Amino acid sequence: MAEINPPGMPIERGKIHEFANSIGCDDPLYHDAEAAAAAGLPGVVAPLTYTSATAFFQPTDAPNLIKDLGLDMRFILHGGQEFFYERPVFAGEMLTAEQGETIKTVKEGKRGGSMQIFDSFTNYKNQDGELVLRVKNTLIQTGGVVKE
Amino acid sequence: MSSDLFASIKEGDEYAFTKKDFTRTDFARYAGGGGDFNPIHHDQTFAEKAGLPTVFGMGMLTAGILSRVPAEWFGPTSVKSFGIRFKTRLWPGDDVEFKGIVKKVYEEDGVTHADLDLTAITGKGEVLIQGFSTVRPWSA
Repeated sequence: MAEINPPGMPIERGKIHEFANSIGCDDPLYHDAEAAAAAGLPGVVAPLTYTSATAFFQPTDAPNLIKDLGLDMRFILHGGQEFFYERPVFAGEMLTAEQGETIKTVKEGKRGGSMQIFDSFTNYKNQDGELVLRVKNTLIQTGGVVKE
Repeated sequence: MSSDLFASIKEGDEYAFTKKDFTRTDFARYAGGGGDFNPIHHDQTFAEKAGLPTVFGMGMLTAGILSRVPAEWFGPTSVKSFGIRFKTRLWPGDDVEFKGIVKKVYEEDGVTHADLDLTAITGKGEVLIQGFSTVRPWSA
């Protein structure tokens, strides 16, 4: 199946509504444009992890960290994620993700082999060039297949 | 919306809720909502070929639910930061308690801030996620 992803990340009320339901967010501020307007907000609010969901809808020419770092998909773990908000994200904005620096550290694992830890930073700006949030994503490459 | 709450917040205050019996439908709904179509989260045949007993939930599904702790407690616009570390996997049938506790309350630039410790723990007592958040009042 083709995946076609045009440039930019439009923040849309319908997608926010669907995403909010998928994680059980029931505050009207995520769903109801009138409730958001009554609260003095420019649009419904995107849930806190919304930008990491829409990362899957990023333009196909956007930086691909796993490919760029030459990592082996079979041995990659998602270690964690951190979000730093300048302010909330609202429906009606158009965000662009800018890849920042990646910091690599090597740690000796307890169960043999070393782990490479990659902390990468992404800045999300809106259509006016305003920085809205920063995200730090941690990927861990293990020495082999991880057994529980 | 939560200025009264910030005036009365103190170290040790807690907020928690439990989601019982995660289902494969919960995973599928998050796949649609969040766009994560890695078959390891929805395709039993694929999961078995990968040596797993069944599909497991996306980390960002439970992370998203954990993010509701600061957002429901202090309001969707009051969260300044939210971070998580993934510890283990979520399986169908798991019950999970999502919990926050106030670790520190302080003033920064004349605005009350609170640092929270967050956890998602299964009914079997395994830590799924450890997290943190900083909250403060925000207005448009």
